Amino acid sequence: MSTIEPGRTHEEEHLEFEGMDISGHWNRMFEQRVIWEHDTSTLDKVTAIAGAESLGYCYQCGKCTPACPVDHVGDYSPRKIFRKAQTGIDLFTSPDLWLCTTCMNCLRVCPKEVNMISIMPAVREVAVAEGNVPPELQKAFENTLNHGNPLGEPARKRADWVADAGAPVTILPKEKRPVDVLFYVECYWSYHPRGKDAARALARTMAALGVDWGILGHEEKCSCDSQRLAGEKGLFEMIAEQNIATLGKYEFKRLVTSDPHAYNAFRNEYPKLGAEYPVQHYTQFLAPLMGSLSWKRKLDYKVTFHDPCYLGRHNGEYDAPREMIKQIPGLEFIEMFRCKENGYCCGGGGGGMWLDSFTANHTRERLSERRVKEAIETGAEMLVVCCPYEVSRFEDAVKSTGNDGKLLVRDVIELVDEALH
Amino acid sequence: MEAARGIASLGSKVVLVELRERLGGTPDSASYSSFTLDHRKVSDVLASTREEVESNPLIDVRLQSRLTAFEGKAGEFKATLTNIKGTSEVVDCASVVIATGFQHFDPGRETQMYGYYEYEDVITLVDAEKMLSAGKFVRPSTGEPPKAVCFIQCVGSRDRRIGNEYCSKVCCGVSSKEAIEIRELVPDCKVFVFYIDMRMYGFWEDRIYWKAQEEHRVNFVRGIVTEIIQKDGRLLVKGEDTTMGRPMEVTMDVVVLAVGMEPSRGTREVGPILGVAQEKHGFIELTGGSFDTVGTSVPGIFVAGAAAGPKDLDDSISMAGAAAMKAVAIARRPAVTA
Repeated sequence: MSTIEPGRTHEEEHLEFEGMDISGHWNRMFEQRVIWEHDTSTLDKVTAIAGAESLGYCYQCGKCTPACPVDHVGDYSPRKIFRKAQTGIDLFTSPDLWLCTTCMNCLRVCPKEVNMISIMPAVREVAVAEGNVPPELQKAFENTLNHGNPLGEPARKRADWVADAGAPVTILPKEKRPVDVLFYVECYWSYHPRGKDAARALARTMAALGVDWGILGHEEKCSCDSQRLAGEKGLFEMIAEQNIATLGKYEFKRLVTSDPHAYNAFRNEYPKLGAEYPVQHYTQFLAPLMGSLSWKRKLDYKVTFHDPCYLGRHNGEYDAPREMIKQIPGLEFIEMFRCKENGYCCGGGGGGMWLDSFTANHTRERLSERRVKEAIETGAEMLVVCCPYEVSRFEDAVKSTGNDGKLLVRDVIELVDEALH
Repeated sequence: MEAARGIASLGSKVVLVELRERLGGTPDSASYSSFTLDHRKVSDVLASTREEVESNPLIDVRLQSRLTAFEGKAGEFKATLTNIKGTSEVVDCASVVIATGFQHFDPGRETQMYGYYEYEDVITLVDAEKMLSAGKFVRPSTGEPPKAVCFIQCVGSRDRRIGNEYCSKVCCGVSSKEAIEIRELVPDCKVFVFYIDMRMYGFWEDRIYWKAQEEHRVNFVRGIVTEIIQKDGRLLVKGEDTTMGRPMEVTMDVVVLAVGMEPSRGTREVGPILGVAQEKHGFIELTGGSFDTVGTSVPGIFVAGAAAGPKDLDDSISMAGAAAMKAVAIARRPAVTA
């Protein structure tokens, strides 16, 4: 199908504009092409996929557009995705397929419950099967398959951070015993330098609280929720079965995790595979215990807080991290304009964490860059987070937006640790 | 009132049970200004109807009363009515007409970020009616006439997330009617209506919608609003202009939320007492299909107006007439059950 009809272009042979010679094809104008067919094959193909039916429910109200974080940096939103599909643009090969971060703000406002959280993974699964995957995402999938983590780090080094924790950490495969808390460290706290800072801060806080806890060490693998949302359901199910078998070997009263995505997986997805755990995000576990800590100093910071999509909108927890911030002595807290239910997305969810260059090529700005600007606008000097994806994303964004020195990014557990020592 | 008047005009006795201390229903209690599509003043129409009903010897009006128990079958029902003092009385009746109406959607339940309980200048159609019936339209926060007003349609209607999947039918017309009234009262004020689909069936199209656009220069923009924030003392309305495919952020002085209909408390409560089926939102279920607009799941019990779902005035009055006829038919020939 040609996109230009002969005879529907216009060109001036000689034209000068503001001193510039734009004669000939330099000034060519294209007239709008008449729509002579609405090719519904894409829409039909999408809505035939189990889980993607609701794309066909859209009645074009447009409520999702201002709610969609990607639309703020591009021409996106579920309403537009539906409309493009309706006009025959192939979602399966379009970059649009990979830009959704599954942040769920569209579903929150959608009167028809067009569910992108279900549509995107289902359509991506088909694209993955057809081999249409951005290479950097494919790499993260392969890393997960081969090493149990998307970073491609060796599995045996997963608990290396423990050595410098400055507090005892029980590694259950080495020291088999029942524990109260099995802490699921997850990949970014295990391997990323800034994530490891947070893991160590947690270890010291757990020691200060006298919690009986342990970790899975090298036996732990990625919970794989983001891989699932990025379209690798098969990989998710395979690794999840392995994790379920590993968890089955140990005795614990509750599962606590650093990562809202893992929290989502254990709370909502693993039960579908027959494994149910009493699971908490670490802010939920720690918030009620904050009162029993003996603080050593006041922290004189003006802070704001970013809600992780998978803790907040997906699982309804907005209070626990705020309660922790409130309990840490000295902090002055300012809420960002977009917060809680309407919180902006950092861009890392739904596979976005592994699509950085791809996304950057198809949007005006990274979501994390937009978010750090919003944080700076509040007058805060520190952005507090509680998702392992976010520290590195926001620290990079502070640098790339030229705001180095204007905004620090800290995990809330790092602030607890700082006030304890 | 219309059903009671109809029954009385056919020569039958009727007991009219009203929870409030005055007849007139929601248009009265919510101080409606004028009817849509009928442009007459609500207070005038209600006053004359009320007078006619109350002075009719065949109509026994029981104010501040409610139905508390019910038994029997068509032609020989026994209804227990309890008044505000707690006194109960059993009334024998051949048939029943439910006319318990609707209530307005509470915008506090809205999933968008409209801030009805946060911003003084975000109001509902009902609040606007109240001002218009007093012959004024001002910004609640300042008391000054507004320079720009917008209506947001479908608030609490056509929404699976909220649980109200129906179209409330009248809001497009009521908004357009109010928009006309605002333009008449405040000629310098620009008025916008943000909508998903304008549902102006029949004569509502030319007599309200076209009239608003052509004669009163009301601007209709396709695209709904997602959030409202306060900025420099005014309201910044954010949404998408869907025909342009562009985001919009426009400043308004007053935002009117076109809240839809929900079953009233009376409608929800009376259903189980009478034993009639209710549809999934709680409205009284009409079981007779398109050729019986007033029949319920129980023979001898009929429904009129918005107790049966979103209805405009014309529908409600027509249903009242049909229900009256069928109710009287049962009183005269108890063997007839429909």
